[in-house]
Amino acid sequence: MRSLRRLLSRVFGFVARRQSEERMREEIEEHVALQTAENLRAGMTAAEARRQAILKFGAVEAMKESYRAGRGMPFIETVLQDLRYSVRTISRSPGFAAVAILTLALGIGANTAIFSVIDAVMLRPLPVRDPQQLMVLRWTARKELNFNGSSYGDCDNSRESGCVFSVPFSRTVRTQANAFSGLAVFSGPLDINFRDNGPAVIARGEYVSGDFFSTLGLKTILGRPLGPADDQPAVPPAIVLTYAFWQRAFGGDPSAVGRGVRLDNVEAVIVGIAGPGFSNITPGKTQDFFMCLSLVDRVRSEWWADGSRINDPSVFWAVIVGRLAPGVSIARAQASVSALFRSEVVHLSLLTDADGPGVLVKPVREGLDGESRGYAPMLDLLMGAVGFVLLIACANVAGLILARSAGRQKELAVRQAIGAGRGRIARQLLTESLVVSLAGGTLGVFVAIWGVKALVALLQSHVSDPFLFPVAPDWRVLGFTAVVTVATGILSGMAPTFRSARSDLTPSLRENASSAPGGAVQSRWRFRLGDALVVAQVALSMVMLIGAGLLVRTLGNLRHLNPGFDTRNILLFGVNPTIAGYTDPGTVHLYRDLQRRFAALPGVIAVSYSEDALLSRSTSGTHVHLDGAPPKSNVGTDYLAVGADFFSTMRIRLLAGRAFTSADFAQADATNAAVSAANKEAKAHADAGKASPAPRAEVAQSVLPALAPVPVIINQTFAKRYLAGKDPVGLHMGSPRNDKPATGPRPGYLIVGVSEDTKYGSLRSEINPTMYEPLTGNSAHFEVRTTVDPATLIAVVRKIVAEADGNLPLTDIRTQSQQIDDTLFQERLLSRLSSFFAVLALALACIGLYGLLSYEVARRTRELGIRMALGANRRDVMRLVLRQGLILALTGVGIGIGAAVGITRLMASMLYEVRPGDPATFAIVCLLLMVVAAVACLVPARRATRVEPMEALRTE
Amino acid sequence: MKQKADVQQGTLALMVLKTLDVLGPLHGYGIARRIGQISGDLLSVNQGTLYPLLLKLEQEGSIASEWGASENNRRARFYRLTPAGRRQLQAEARDWNQTAAIIERFFAARAEDFL
Repeated sequence: MRSLRRLLSRVFGFVARRQSEERMREEIEEHVALQTAENLRAGMTAAEARRQAILKFGAVEAMKESYRAGRGMPFIETVLQDLRYSVRTISRSPGFAAVAILTLALGIGANTAIFSVIDAVMLRPLPVRDPQQLMVLRWTARKELNFNGSSYGDCDNSRESGCVFSVPFSRTVRTQANAFSGLAVFSGPLDINFRDNGPAVIARGEYVSGDFFSTLGLKTILGRPLGPADDQPAVPPAIVLTYAFWQRAFGGDPSAVGRGVRLDNVEAVIVGIAGPGFSNITPGKTQDFFMCLSLVDRVRSEWWADGSRINDPSVFWAVIVGRLAPGVSIARAQASVSALFRSEVVHLSLLTDADGPGVLVKPVREGLDGESRGYAPMLDLLMGAVGFVLLIACANVAGLILARSAGRQKELAVRQAIGAGRGRIARQLLTESLVVSLAGGTLGVFVAIWGVKALVALLQSHVSDPFLFPVAPDWRVLGFTAVVTVATGILSGMAPTFRSARSDLTPSLRENASSAPGGAVQSRWRFRLGDALVVAQVALSMVMLIGAGLLVRTLGNLRHLNPGFDTRNILLFGVNPTIAGYTDPGTVHLYRDLQRRFAALPGVIAVSYSEDALLSRSTSGTHVHLDGAPPKSNVGTDYLAVGADFFSTMRIRLLAGRAFTSADFAQADATNAAVSAANKEAKAHADAGKASPAPRAEVAQSVLPALAPVPVIINQTFAKRYLAGKDPVGLHMGSPRNDKPATGPRPGYLIVGVSEDTKYGSLRSEINPTMYEPLTGNSAHFEVRTTVDPATLIAVVRKIVAEADGNLPLTDIRTQSQQIDDTLFQERLLSRLSSFFAVLALALACIGLYGLLSYEVARRTRELGIRMALGANRRDVMRLVLRQGLILALTGVGIGIGAAVGITRLMASMLYEVRPGDPATFAIVCLLLMVVAAVACLVPARRATRVEPMEALRTE
Repeated sequence: MKQKADVQQGTLALMVLKTLDVLGPLHGYGIARRIGQISGDLLSVNQGTLYPLLLKLEQEGSIASEWGASENNRRARFYRLTPAGRRQLQAEARDWNQTAAIIERFFAARAEDFL
């Protein structure tokens, strides 16, 4: 308490140090005066009385010092003194200050900008109550789990691990696990035809269970949240709007609460508006409204929903989040949930105990990475790149300070001679570099603001996968910038400080120290340090140039890749008749009608459609059973449902057999209709009798023999891999029905043709065995091949679709080249940004090289003058300077190559058809770097040749 | 010649507090003089060292100061004991007496007392 009080008064004393100095002077004077008066009374002479008084008082200056030390804050006072002095010295050389501050501003700004994005994508805390208690479940197994289901990208799902479960399992966990105080499921978001009073809009709805709001701790600002009562099917289905959607679609009208809306033609009621802070617990995902689970079996917009998604335990599609009960450890929760999961999947005969099924309980932050998973490697790489830029900037500024402090030898020596300790001088120099870095950091904040804007604009130019993370500075970004700024100051000030604290400054006091032998002797250490800094800069920029070069080549390789079809002049757009209420036969009819209308347009050569557009990053896969193979030995294949004329429209050549005919489509339609009828009947049976899936299969099976197999066309890879040595055309393949009782029966496939290989999901992906089958329903993407610029047809295409059906929304209108550009978005972004930073690094390194050589030439003016007076010609002098610069650059290049070999290996997964140690890239970068370095050396070298011998000697 | 005692800071602080307790508000010179008189000139040299100590005591709140007129009618800083300072003085005096008593008993002890 007393020491706190003392600290406070010290702070006060520090602020009011002028008054207190006055008071001290006055007190001492009065003390001496009183003593003198007493001495006079004791009979001394006036002079003697004063002398004795002063003697008795003791050492006045020492006392003043200790008084001052006790009064204010001497440490801060010297710091302030250093600061004032630093600002004065730095502003005396504005050229140095400008270069150093700008360099650091670029480095710090770039780092802050990238970190802001990383912060937004990966570090932002969840907007829920106590996020550290919120857990997400993730199942694992050693074998493929053949579930029927779907996931929405909340986490990385594969056949052996995933974070989607069946809804019945969540009920089991809720009632039996005893580990969670709250448990909720969610799934989505998916596109819903949302209809208020006006026209229908496509809105994104997320299914959530009734306890979602209470488990996460979310509040509504109007109305009520969804509750467990909403899970009952009898209740009129309720939805809660997100704040943003309420503002956008309802203009923030409070009367929206209580209003009835139609979701894919199902009645629902808006019961509340969620608070503005929450969008989704999975990073980068958003939705427009939350709908209760009881809507699931009524609102159907997706093809895979053949079982009941609420009651079928083998339909895996919902993410389970739980709030740990107080006192329950993650390990205990994991053990109890694992046991439940094991008995569930074994009971359903999805897996056996030997397959090691289990569940991991993970904090939501780790368990749900969502969109951030796609951005993380890219951002890590960029962070590395800007880290390098900052290191180069530090080395650059250190070199500048070093060169400058060499010119300040005399000043430092004088300060040392009049009593400044080495620590004191070191502190002074460090203060100077900190002042420079603080100025750089402040300016860097502006660079960062601009950089974040540019970066977010770049990221949001990604059409199919928009960047949905809000980037805004928070305390983590500010802290990061502050730490980086101070670290930069210390790092760039360390080398010069260290050197000046060690070196012997006495020779500098002699006349003309800079050219005296003494100066040269002690300068050896300096130039080794200065050289090392330049070499480091060159090496770092070499690594960055090579990294950027590899990324640029990757992009080039992908751009020039032949995807197996003609990508020019194709207009793409999607239609989804299912959410407008169409059934399969109606859909097919609509597609054929549209196809006819588009084909009649002037400038259109051919029209087709397929379930997914090629190179749109979405693919479908299935299993087939090859005739003659042992039972249960199925092989995997990609598959794509296509419309008539698909192969001729896309210009994919057929190597054998024929394209689909209208008879093939009729055949496929008939089979599809019969299979869905059989499934419906089976389901009705199962629902009525509450029986096991067995009778359902039986019913379906009985219909099967009457059905002809679906005609399919396979690609070359399929033929080579699975049907080597056989003529594929005319062969039959079965569906793997015996393995998956949950899936409906299918009558198998008949191969009618073999097509050339094409890339399906993305340019990067391997070409898998692929099977094309006639499209019999569901949503589709149209492909319109034109002779004119495809973009000019957009308006007329919209008109035609509106004429066909006013309720049918068009989605994703783009050309095939735009689509490809879009899938190459990340590659393009990376190659552009890494090139930018690499060029920045190169520029900084060249400034470093140039600065060092310029300084060298200035310092050696006299030496060069003597050399020239003794007969050296201009070329010799130029060679002298150039050689020094090029040796440094070459050393840097050599070290850079070694480092690059190690570092580029880390980015192997981002490259395409170029190895991390690609010799061509290395060679080109070396050449580029040496040429640029030579130019940087040339300027000071030419200046050296202009030294006039007489002038140089006269400067002595 | 008698050595001047090397007075510890804490001891000097105690002397200052006691002086102010007994004599009321005093200026720096007065305190120095009083301590010199009572301690038999033990502190007659380096009176200046008193001032940093006064500053410290004031910062800690044991004493307070204000301007007043000295004997020769000039401005001087007068120090007085605060209630906190009085409590501190009592506590330290108690400690001091205790310590002194223990040391005294120790010195009075003879060899047979330890058997």
